[in-house]
Amino acid sequence: MTKAITELNFIDDILYFHEHTWAKVEGDLVRVGITDFAQDQLSNIIFVELPNVGETYRKGDEFGQAESAKTVSALYMPVSGEIVEINEELEEAPQNVNEDPYGTGWMIVVKPGNLVELKELLAKEDYLNQIK
Amino acid sequence: MSFTIYTATGCTRCKIIKQLMHERGIAFEEQDMKAEGKEAFQKFYAANRKAIFRGPDGVEFPLLHDTEAGNIHQGIGACVAYLYGGGKLDSFFSVGTLHKEWVDGIHVSGGNSEDAKGFLEVLRYIKKTNNMKLQLDTNGLNSAILEQILAEGLADVIIMNVLGPKELYSQILGKEVDTAEIEKSLSLVSKFPEYKFQTTVTPVVRGDGEIRYLTTKEVGGAAKLIAEATGSMKNPYLIKLFKPKECRDERFKDIEAMAADALLPYRTAARAHQVFVEIEKA
Repeated sequence: MTKAITELNFIDDILYFHEHTWAKVEGDLVRVGITDFAQDQLSNIIFVELPNVGETYRKGDEFGQAESAKTVSALYMPVSGEIVEINEELEEAPQNVNEDPYGTGWMIVVKPGNLVELKELLAKEDYLNQIK
Repeated sequence: MSFTIYTATGCTRCKIIKQLMHERGIAFEEQDMKAEGKEAFQKFYAANRKAIFRGPDGVEFPLLHDTEAGNIHQGIGACVAYLYGGGKLDSFFSVGTLHKEWVDGIHVSGGNSEDAKGFLEVLRYIKKTNNMKLQLDTNGLNSAILEQILAEGLADVIIMNVLGPKELYSQILGKEVDTAEIEKSLSLVSKFPEYKFQTTVTPVVRGDGEIRYLTTKEVGGAAKLIAEATGSMKNPYLIKLFKPKECRDERFKDIEAMAADALLPYRTAARAHQVFVEIEKA
């Protein structure tokens, strides 16, 4: 059973992509994960396939996939850039995405190729309007 | 043998396999992916995900892991077959995608005719002992098994893949085929309470070594073969698109897919012999 939107957690200090990933600016890098809404839709995540460090993707590209027993969901880049770090802990603990999607459930760190793209991402309220 | 069975809470098929293992005195460890076995299933999935089939509704349960032999069987048919036959019945079964009381992924032509006894025992266990409904498929080989299935009422639905016209059968299957057996199967299939013939417009390795799709004339020939063997032009008959990406034969993976509307002339060619022919919708 999925939760009502009001039961989910959406934080203020990140930016949201309409494909249900989030981006958090950390200096000149961007940390990326999926939103609480996305993890709730997926239910119990049993595997997260992530890209290799050094690969580059454009905004909107599929960079990996999250798999639960019921479904497989593509993960989409909120910004263009090069992958500089991946969350290797998810290999052993994919449930972190369910339990802490904005914390230990982060997925990749990107060196953004076009900072303007950050301005095109959604604020919390805009994202909430999209999923309501 | 040492077994772990991965199940989902409330999964009827999982209960059937566990019951069979109890009946046969086979020890096993159960991991329920929705309960205490969540973490164990997660690890098993991560280590074996390339070998685990996902249908339209996700991972199909149960998953039976023979930890000594290192093999995995998935779905009710394949699991029962492995417990009955220890591997020799494997090629009669695949995972299947039907749900509730229906079981598919049962291939009459998939295995050796010498293993008919074991194959039929599996069908009886699933259908008669556990009241499931069976959808079987055949390409016409193993007609003697088909005859037994018909006699015992072991199939609720049967689908026959008519590979092409008579003269192409050996070429398509890559081995010598007695076409009289194919004709016998066509006739038997038409006697089941619910049946369907279908032809996939597949690529064929031609005599000159080139790979070309079945022609409209050849599919017309398949429809004619059905008419002659069954004595009827009014059989349910479906013409399907070949999907290169889903093909296991490496030779055909890179062939260009046909557009859905390319099937229209095939339907026209087949209609001369089977008036109820339909084409697969894209």
